[in-house]
Amino acid sequence: MSAIIELNGIEKFYEVRGGRSYVLRHITMDVNSGDFLSIMGPSGAGKSTLLHILGMFDNDWTGSYILHGQDVGKAKPRRRQELSREHIGFVFQQYHLLDDLTVQENLEVPLSYRNVPRSERQAQVADALDRFQIVGKKDLFPGQLSGGQQQLVAVARATIAHPTLILADEPTGSLHSSQGRMIMGLLKELNEEGTTVIQVTHSEENAGYGNRVIQLRDGWMVDPE
Amino acid sequence: MKHLWNDIRYALRQLRRSPGFTAVVVVSLALGIGANAAIFSLFDQLLLRPLPVHEPELLVNLSAPGPKPGSTSCNQAGSCEDVFSYAMFRDLEAEQDALAGLAAHVIFGANLATGDETVTGDGMLVSGQYFPLLGVQPVLGRLLGPDDDVTVGGHPVTVLSYDFWLTRMGADPGVLDTVVTINGHTFTIVGVAPPGFFGTTLGARPDVYVPLTMRSQVQAGFSMESFQNRRSYWAYVFGRLRPEVPLPQATQRLNSLYGSIINDVEAPLQEGMTEQTLAQFRAKELSVETGPHGQSDVHDEAGLPLLLLLGITAMVLIIACANIANLLLARGAGRAQEMAVRGSMGAGRRRLVLQLLTEAGLLALMGGALSLVVAYWTLWFIGSILPPFASAIISLQLEPSVLLFAGGLAVATGLLFGLYPALQATRPDLVTTLKDGGSRNSGSRGAARFRAVLVTAQIALSMTLLVSSGLFLQSLVNVTRVDLGMDVERVATFRLSPVRNGYESERSQILLQRVEEELAALPGVTAVSSGMVPLLSGSNWGTDVSVEGFEGGPAVNSNSRYNQVGPGYFRTLGMPLLSGREFTEADVVGAPRVAVVNETFARQFDLDPRETVGKFMATGGSGQSELDIQIVGLVQDANYSEVKQEVPPLFFLPARQSSSLGALTFYARTGSTTEPLLRAIPGLVRELDPNLPVEELKTLEQQASESVFMDRMITTLSSAFALLATLLAALGLYGVLAYTVTQRTREIGVRMALGAEGRRVRNMILKQIGWMTAVGGFLGILAAFGLGRAVESLLFGVSGGDPWIMLAGCVTVVVVAFSAGYLPARRASLVDPMISLRAE
Repeated sequence: MSAIIELNGIEKFYEVRGGRSYVLRHITMDVNSGDFLSIMGPSGAGKSTLLHILGMFDNDWTGSYILHGQDVGKAKPRRRQELSREHIGFVFQQYHLLDDLTVQENLEVPLSYRNVPRSERQAQVADALDRFQIVGKKDLFPGQLSGGQQQLVAVARATIAHPTLILADEPTGSLHSSQGRMIMGLLKELNEEGTTVIQVTHSEENAGYGNRVIQLRDGWMVDPE
Repeated sequence: MKHLWNDIRYALRQLRRSPGFTAVVVVSLALGIGANAAIFSLFDQLLLRPLPVHEPELLVNLSAPGPKPGSTSCNQAGSCEDVFSYAMFRDLEAEQDALAGLAAHVIFGANLATGDETVTGDGMLVSGQYFPLLGVQPVLGRLLGPDDDVTVGGHPVTVLSYDFWLTRMGADPGVLDTVVTINGHTFTIVGVAPPGFFGTTLGARPDVYVPLTMRSQVQAGFSMESFQNRRSYWAYVFGRLRPEVPLPQATQRLNSLYGSIINDVEAPLQEGMTEQTLAQFRAKELSVETGPHGQSDVHDEAGLPLLLLLGITAMVLIIACANIANLLLARGAGRAQEMAVRGSMGAGRRRLVLQLLTEAGLLALMGGALSLVVAYWTLWFIGSILPPFASAIISLQLEPSVLLFAGGLAVATGLLFGLYPALQATRPDLVTTLKDGGSRNSGSRGAARFRAVLVTAQIALSMTLLVSSGLFLQSLVNVTRVDLGMDVERVATFRLSPVRNGYESERSQILLQRVEEELAALPGVTAVSSGMVPLLSGSNWGTDVSVEGFEGGPAVNSNSRYNQVGPGYFRTLGMPLLSGREFTEADVVGAPRVAVVNETFARQFDLDPRETVGKFMATGGSGQSELDIQIVGLVQDANYSEVKQEVPPLFFLPARQSSSLGALTFYARTGSTTEPLLRAIPGLVRELDPNLPVEELKTLEQQASESVFMDRMITTLSSAFALLATLLAALGLYGVLAYTVTQRTREIGVRMALGAEGRRVRNMILKQIGWMTAVGGFLGILAAFGLGRAVESLLFGVSGGDPWIMLAGCVTVVVVAFSAGYLPARRASLVDPMISLRAE
């Protein structure tokens, strides 16, 4: 399988008095298309930072990051944003649905940022509602949903623009176990349909849904495969 | 009460911890309340305050609308509809029983000589019931009473005003039975009026009170016979209600009497009246209105402008309150968890609301205290832009009523801006608030909507104020651009009234001629002349005329304004002669009678401009058999009594052909600046007569400027307040948007994580501004349109709905709104999703 992500010597640090404080050290790895990769490690190991770099929320690092053959480090901000919009969907631990928008409107947001015409947006939103079986919830606001339902909507939102890569930051961290299993099952299903998934997790059980695990300790990959 | 002290202490501590917030709130409030208090001070003094007399609410003012054939003389005590003939007043006074009594009064200009010094001032002629009806008590001696009002010309006694007694007589208790010379006649001082009593006409401050029966002595040209002339209307009349006779009943009974006098006594005396006019004359009715404020045209003239300014300052205060409410909402949001914790410890909602209201109340009190400084400055500023005659009638001190008003306003505003945020911050949603760490409460939809409504209202009010100030600004520009038809630059002007010093007409003529000669000899003076009616001073002298070839008649308007002027008048004032000549030294008593007319006169009386010179006319209206005055000149139209007045038909007669000239206004043109001339004039007059006061010494430019002081005052104040309001609204908009961006940081972060570009996020915020501006602007335009129509009578040369000014207002509001919103919008576009999401 071809690598959709190639990381080579990624380092992230902060300048502090007396030197540098490293968050990530020399991260080198490939992620192939169709992988379900779990990033694990204790708190402060740099898991979320790595995920943010992959998601291009964080552009202040050194090393090389190739996404679908494009050098992210050398890309201009606008191009990076295009790459992100084109390939990545993000699922957050705290769901981060927009409180003032209904479920349906929340699903529409990523499409509107991709300049998808309204009629097409509505069709895609309808598909997503249908697919994730949340048609009955489409007019509810996030505050009216349970945590699991909110994360379900968040996953639907992350996938609605058909990304090739889903980045999930502790997707079940705020859910109880049955809801967590439902979300993980969903991610697995998406992965089996061909979407590459990278998740940050503390849970061995959740890691078990994937096919690869990397461990981070103090910013280093300690257990390369 | 037991918690109040704790609440105050806690509130003070809270305010000390946020000095920036406290300062912004206190200063905003001080500006808002101070501006209101200053304008209220004027409003109170000019419109609300009753006369300082016994039971002023029982006073009633009488007026006599309807045809008034003959001569009418009215002044600042009211319109010409309000005046009665002396004979009618005496008839009513003697025969009525509906009121406790009737009194009459009229103001006159006075030269007052005490010892070696003569000053110019005002006097008031009063009937015998004037002081008894008012129920005021003298500070010294006695006041005038019915015994001083028996014989025409037979009561040379006077009462001094308290201020005159204080400033001119050194508060000497021995002034009783000494004399003061009033307009050349000696009067014995019998008493001093109480302090704070300035007569019954706001705008006039009489120095002396003289019996009405002495009018012939103090006013030149008013003969003893004139008292009986029922066609001469000049007395202002008021009365006092009997407690047992209500106003409608008193009016009815007075009208019954008035109607019989009109029909039985006065109607048979009328000659040359059409049947229609006679019917109107016979149907005349008295109007009786409550008069606790006395009689003054200031009430009419200042009413609308002051109401407008009070409305404007109220809008400024509302904008300030909206800002503060927004700040408190944001602050309350930040303290939601504190409130929740207090609630969890057993504090009831009422208790929490009271605590927050205590904080708002303290802010209001501090703002109220500082507002007194703002009010004092504002009053001082208003005083500095008013002409002396206007600033003399208002007090620039912060009087108890103003302090009360400011205090009341502070409490009301404290409640206004404090209540909603307090209720919001203490919403009984304990669990959610504690769970959210307070963040949810701050972002409640209700509060967000409330904030948006406040800002939209602020934008609407700013728009209204900007447009109204634009209208007044344009109006003032139009006023200053009025072609007065004369050259007012480098002209000094002043008035002398030798008749008030007892000069006979012939002596007056000689003195006034000498003054002209001496003036002409001053260095730098290029032309000198004089006129009986002072230009642009609000004085209007008019009479009916007959003109050769003009068909007059009782139903035809044959009235014209006039002036008596000296040689070289038109040249001195730069009024171009279109044909003929102006008056010369040869136009004196005994020479053929001549006149110069203006263009409007020629048009009004059907004179062909090319043939006007040479025509004959007469004063006195139709029925004049002899047209004895030849028109020798046609002069271009020039303003007469006011800058804003349309030029009336006007004819000029030579002052030196007048046999009863008692006072003249002089004009001296100089080639350089007027200051040396203004300095030299008092000395020049003193050398000719050390006892003759120089009145109204100023430049003609100043005179023109004073003629439009109300326009300038309204424009200056409304512009200043509109600017303040717009700044406050901009601050409010900035605050709300900045707060919104902070509140929406997470949302913006999510949007950016989902692919939104910075530009799109910026546009999202700008769109919010756009909506608020569009809605607020639209409402503001509607309000401005209504306001413009309501104050159209105060505008000059611009309509209340002027589209260009509306457009300028819109553009200004849009620019200000987007400028205020740009920074928050930019900040929103720079939100780092990683940081904002991690902060969550």
